[in-house]
Amino acid sequence: MHIQKGFQWRAVGKNWLLIAAFILLIVFPFLVGVLTNTDPTARRGLSVYWQGIMIELLIYGILTMSYNILFGFTGVISFGHALFFGLAGYLMGAFQRAPELADGGLLIGILVALVVCAGIGLLIGVATLRLKGVYFAIFTLAIAEMVYIFLSRYEYTGSEDGFTLAALPEWFDPTRSRLTFYYIAAAIFVFTFILIRRLMESPTGAVLLAIRENENRARTIGFNTLTYKLMAIVLAGILAGVAGILFTLLNKKVGPEMLGTAYTVNPLLMTIIGGAGTLLGPAVGAMGLRLLELQLRNVQIPLGDVVLDIGRILPIILGAIFILVVIVFPYGIVGTFTRWRLNQRARHAERLAKQAEALKSVS
Amino acid sequence: MKEHTMAAGEPILECRHLRKEFGGLVAVNDVSLRVERGRVHSIIGPNGAGKTTLMNLISGIYKPTRGEVFFKGQPITAVPLHRRAHMGIGRSFQITNIFPNLTVLENVRLAVQARSAANFNVLRRAYSYGDFITEAMRAIQEVGLTPVASMLASALPHGGKRKLELAILLAGAPELLILDEPTAGVASEQVREMIGNIGQIRGQADRTIIIVEHNMNLVMNVSDYITVMHLGSVLAEGTPSEIAANKAVQSAYLGELYSDVMDKAAGGDHA
Ligand SMILES: Nc1ncnc2c1ncn2[C@@H]1O[C@H](COP(=O)(O)OP(=O)(O)OP(=O)(O)O)[C@@H](O)[C@H]1O
Ligand SMILES: [Mg+2]
Repeated sequence: MHIQKGFQWRAVGKNWLLIAAFILLIVFPFLVGVLTNTDPTARRGLSVYWQGIMIELLIYGILTMSYNILFGFTGVISFGHALFFGLAGYLMGAFQRAPELADGGLLIGILVALVVCAGIGLLIGVATLRLKGVYFAIFTLAIAEMVYIFLSRYEYTGSEDGFTLAALPEWFDPTRSRLTFYYIAAAIFVFTFILIRRLMESPTGAVLLAIRENENRARTIGFNTLTYKLMAIVLAGILAGVAGILFTLLNKKVGPEMLGTAYTVNPLLMTIIGGAGTLLGPAVGAMGLRLLELQLRNVQIPLGDVVLDIGRILPIILGAIFILVVIVFPYGIVGTFTRWRLNQRARHAERLAKQAEALKSVS
Repeated sequence: MKEHTMAAGEPILECRHLRKEFGGLVAVNDVSLRVERGRVHSIIGPNGAGKTTLMNLISGIYKPTRGEVFFKGQPITAVPLHRRAHMGIGRSFQITNIFPNLTVLENVRLAVQARSAANFNVLRRAYSYGDFITEAMRAIQEVGLTPVASMLASALPHGGKRKLELAILLAGAPELLILDEPTAGVASEQVREMIGNIGQIRGQADRTIIIVEHNMNLVMNVSDYITVMHLGSVLAEGTPSEIAANKAVQSAYLGELYSDVMDKAAGGDHA
């Protein structure tokens, strides 16, 4: 009885936090508007600035959540996640600015990008998921680097500079209608979160966790693990593509750096810091770290005669934070907390069971 | 190799001339084996005899270099591991092989789910399948882990992990259970409990058990039939009393160490 009650309270508590976050996401532009005394619907001002930052955080959140499907939930380490992120940007951009497609190019571009992400995920998966651990990781890195080199040398794709998008429809333009774009990004972020949560609560998600924990055992009890890993990589690829598309629209340009290792390594680190294999961890890690980075980038501290430019030593600071978090929170911020609570609950249940047994033997 | 003395009838499992090489090493060398339905069939032999390798060939973890495996009369040599589980071959491992960062219940529930049609249903919650949980809890109860069902598997003591290993196997409801040294590393006072578990498992309908064991007490107590392996080959086969009386077995493997147990077993044939 007590255990049951505890479970339900926990569910309420957990959802309460999510509901609060959801409401915050909705009112954020207006909250900032009030706090900075600027118009959230204007084209300039602090409101628009903060909306822009938040959009970027949401995109990082989506990218990192997609990485977590592989790394955190399925236990597959990919070093080529940027491939999906960047390639989707390029493909969407190429169609969007094709003059013969006019305004339809955007939609076609998005669809093509996502289908290609799924297809490439499937191809890479079929070709390499049989490889164990580090071999798979290296293979994915090699493919991403190959595409990176190709796109940064090929003239049609704008070589090292990439290319800018054609004009976007006004209502969709992140410069002219930033508030609308903010809500689009927020909606996709929430959708991604719910999608992953539902997946991980489903029987299929349970198998992904089993694969992460012990793939051979999962096979021995009857799971065709390759199929599940393929599903995971396809879904992760599509969602990384979604993030890449949003990122390209926000910046109105693509460049080969989107396929660079930074967009693989950052989601990896952000997942670890937030908590690999937790639902909230990757979003927390990605948004927190990116916000920190953006805020520290332009900080300068005068120290007597010299000025300490934080922006220039930022990688060192972030590295130190990473080491600190890993030491203090071995399972990431959210992961360590969840684990602690789970242990607490297990001990509670054990105590109750022991009491029940003791009572039985007495009576 | 000696002829079968047991009651005829189609064996549930048959291995024909199995051979497994690792590089230059021949771990299993021309092993043929018949396991009759409903029996407890023990495989014994010194360390490195190839017992675990043979179990890996039967359950599908390795493909044999040569030879064939038949399950219920069908050739399964080319059938992959996960499909063999669906056909009814389940196994536990000598080296504990569980899902460490999942709860005890989830470890076992997964084995129930694995044989259902729910695996690809992403629209329902895994825990909304109440009968999976009921079945998992039954297996957990069978091995006596109920009080710790919500604990993380990694937090169990070694003996508890061995029991969990058994519960995962039971939850898969296999027709053929392969137990690879279920008492490995278990404290002697808990071994009796394990023997009880295995006796109980055995009592249930239509189950065949292959058990690899070093504990002679357990082997002599629960076996209907014993195969002795040595250096990758079958050295002898027979009922417990036949094996106990077999001089070749005694000198090759059992030696003085087990002579007490062997003499007792040879005295009264309980099979
Ligand atoms: N994957 C492998 N690669 C290489 N050699 C192996 C492998 N598995 C087993 N062997 C070797 O095959 C031989 C038989 O090993 P196996 O584990 O089957 O013996 P066993 O009878 O189960 O021994 P034990 O009683 O110690 O468990 C040993 O020499 C072992 O080193
Ligand atoms: Mg062995």
